[in-house]
Amino acid sequence: MSTIPASAFLSLALILFCIGLYGALTKRNTVIVLISIELMLNAVNINLVTFSKYGIKPSITGQIFALFAITVAAAEAAVGLAILIALYRNRRTINIDEMDSMKN
Amino acid sequence: MMETAWIIPLFPLLSFLILLLFGKRLKESSAVVGILLTLASLVYSVLVLFERFSAPTFKTEAVWLTIGDIHLTAGFEVNQLNALMLVIVSLVSCLVHTYSKGYMHGDERFHVFYAYLGLFTFAMLGLVLSPNLLQTYIFWELVGVGSFLLIGFYFYKEEAKQAAKKAFIMTRIGDVGLLIGMILLFWQTNSFEYDNIFKAVADGSVTQGWITLTAILIFIGAMGKSGQFPLHTWLPDAMEGPTPVSALIHAATMVAAGVYLVAALFPLFAASQTALMTVAVIGGFTAIFAASIGLVQTDIKRVLAYSTVSQLGYMMLALGSGGYVAGVFHLMTHAFFKALLFLAAGSVIHAAHTQDIEEMGGLWKKLRLTGPLFLIGTLAISGVPLLSGFFSKDEILAAAWEGGHPVLFLLAVVAAFFTAFYMFRLFFMVFTGEARSEMKSVHESPSTMTLPMIVLGVLAVVSGYVNTTWFGSFLGDWLTDGNKVLSGSHTEGPAWIMVVATLVSLAGIFLAWLMYGKRSLSRDWLSGKGSTLHTILYNKYYVDEFYQMSIIKIVKGISYFLRFIDVFLVEGIVKGVGGAVQGLGKTGSKLQTGQVQTYGAMAFVGLAVLVVIFALTGGYLK
Amino acid sequence: MTFSGEFFAFMSLALVAVIGGVLLLNLTKVMHMIIALVFTFISIAGIYVLLSAEFVAVVQILIYAGAITILMLFAIMLTKHDDASEAQGTIWRKLLLLLGVIGFAFAVYIGIYNFNVEQLPSHLHENNVLQIGKALYTKHVIPFELTSVLLLVALVGAIILAKNDEKEAHKE
Repeated sequence: MSTIPASAFLSLALILFCIGLYGALTKRNTVIVLISIELMLNAVNINLVTFSKYGIKPSITGQIFALFAITVAAAEAAVGLAILIALYRNRRTINIDEMDSMKN
Repeated sequence: MMETAWIIPLFPLLSFLILLLFGKRLKESSAVVGILLTLASLVYSVLVLFERFSAPTFKTEAVWLTIGDIHLTAGFEVNQLNALMLVIVSLVSCLVHTYSKGYMHGDERFHVFYAYLGLFTFAMLGLVLSPNLLQTYIFWELVGVGSFLLIGFYFYKEEAKQAAKKAFIMTRIGDVGLLIGMILLFWQTNSFEYDNIFKAVADGSVTQGWITLTAILIFIGAMGKSGQFPLHTWLPDAMEGPTPVSALIHAATMVAAGVYLVAALFPLFAASQTALMTVAVIGGFTAIFAASIGLVQTDIKRVLAYSTVSQLGYMMLALGSGGYVAGVFHLMTHAFFKALLFLAAGSVIHAAHTQDIEEMGGLWKKLRLTGPLFLIGTLAISGVPLLSGFFSKDEILAAAWEGGHPVLFLLAVVAAFFTAFYMFRLFFMVFTGEARSEMKSVHESPSTMTLPMIVLGVLAVVSGYVNTTWFGSFLGDWLTDGNKVLSGSHTEGPAWIMVVATLVSLAGIFLAWLMYGKRSLSRDWLSGKGSTLHTILYNKYYVDEFYQMSIIKIVKGISYFLRFIDVFLVEGIVKGVGGAVQGLGKTGSKLQTGQVQTYGAMAFVGLAVLVVIFALTGGYLK
Repeated sequence: MTFSGEFFAFMSLALVAVIGGVLLLNLTKVMHMIIALVFTFISIAGIYVLLSAEFVAVVQILIYAGAITILMLFAIMLTKHDDASEAQGTIWRKLLLLLGVIGFAFAVYIGIYNFNVEQLPSHLHENNVLQIGKALYTKHVIPFELTSVLLLVALVGAIILAKNDEKEAHKE
């Protein structure tokens, strides 16, 4: 049994998610944007692990989910950074507001 | 012959269509097409006229439209007046076609001119054959179109363009009156048929008030077409058209359409004393009004134009005084001698290359044929005895006297004096005196131009003898034959009227001779520049200026107001809607930066708004 | 709520995590931002321990604090990273986003605040790794194998993307 309510963990996850979201939508440096997205994924992971313990039916499945999420996040980070490197090689910039080739 | 009279207007229509389709290829030979086809009309008309002398009125109709119980018909009618008009119109038209061959020679739109002439002749012949008001109205407007096209024939000249528009609009003002009168008559009698209308008027099923009102409204239409005061101002301006057109349309036929309409509807007018009086007063006033303007004009065609207005006033005066025969008689003689005068004037202009009579002079010796013909026309219009104008004018004066309006009689006499004076002023200034230096090179017109003038010259002399006090009034008897309403309208005035008319015209001629021929009398008292009277007359009593100041100002004011509404209200709304959509589009396209981050931000803000609403309302939108 | 050691540990870990996140947003140098985030990641690992997920905590430290952060640092160093200036005309956008984020947080918080599920005793902390291993190789074996394929694809894809093309290199 734990003395900490589930809502405390969920609130922490919420705060971290919001920080990540804000960072992902405002930062100019693409690396920081990617990192912010990692932070958001972490917040999700906290939620998953929390519910694995405090859910209606506690189960190890939540932790398994978190592991999968971490794996996918790692893969995403690797591919994302590879794309970033390729872009940088072509455009000589990693500023996200200069990546507007979708417009033309 | 009479059964197939409908074919007469189809000849000029055929000419119009042929020239419309093949005119460019035919070029100058399009004149031959026009002349031959109008000649066919003329021959046919003459045959119809001669048959009409012995046969009764022929009329045929077919149902055209059926509205409830009312049948609108279309057809044609050959009565005395129609048969006479057919001959006058086709004759003058044929002569003008011939004349134009020489006059318009070298014009690059030669075939177009002939096409227009064909259209006009078709419309005019259709008009005089119409047995009902509706058909009359259709052809009436077609005649207006033909006139518009021909006045504006030199459309690259600003004055011609303006004159064409003016003629169209002024006659249209009259046409509105005609249309309203027509509709009111239809409302009252349930028919457009002349015969049915006359029947309804005769048996009293239409009240006196309605008769007066409709008659006056229809007379307004006639005023517009026949250039009666106050709708006369378009006619002098219409002289911007080619001179043969002036002879055909603005002297002999179209302007006579108004007189014809009043004559055709004479039983309606005769049923209302007020309407007759209106016609007479307007006619009498116009006669002297236009004649006084004609005294000082210096443009040869404008003098003739004002003379036409004045003579038309004469005809109206005759009709208004109950002188049906006098009016129609004068219509016929006037068609001949005025067409002659215009054609002769055209010949003069053709030779002298100017229209200003101040610059002319001494042309008598140069134009050996045109000069005498012009003199015949002048003598005829002045009412010198033994020429056609003398008999018809005498008839009108008699009618005015018998009509019992001494004032109108006096007006007519004074107008006759003016007519004689200004016509001989014109004659003396153009043909006598010293030749100006630039008039040395003038030469006589080609035979295609002189031949029609000779024909008209002969007619101007002899056409009066069909209805004289001395040799019997054949025309009058024939016209009024078998018509109760008209039978009393032909009377012979006292003999002294003839003497008065002769003396008055001779006095006018003598005065003109003194002033312009012999120059023993100073011109300054009348036509000296600067005198008040001269200024007023020269500016045509400022009627145009009055219209400009009053009616046009008002109409322009209303137009500006409506334009203001259009520009600021209607256009504002339209532009506002368009601008709003455009602005929206521009804003939208600005959002399309191509940056994923911005898209994400927008999507997230939208989601946040939805989530907040969801949280606050608990998921239910109240 | 009592001030137990567990609570104290949670509070300090949560504080470090949030401070790390805020520093990520406010620091100017990219390198400093990533270092700040390492603290957040390690704190989150601590949170996992509190939630009886020791294995996940270890994986968190290994992958996030280790691999991903190092990867990011490499990416930063391989690219131009001294340009920290902000784009112009973004103040309004930032304000709008801030409002949106706060509204979102508020809305979600309403849901969290009333979240109250009866706590059941769990045995997650006993032989955690064993439990995870059993579940992973029995119940979730197909997703597990698929994940391995995914990782392989990501590996190959990342190499192909980041590889300097020979021809292009010659051109330059």
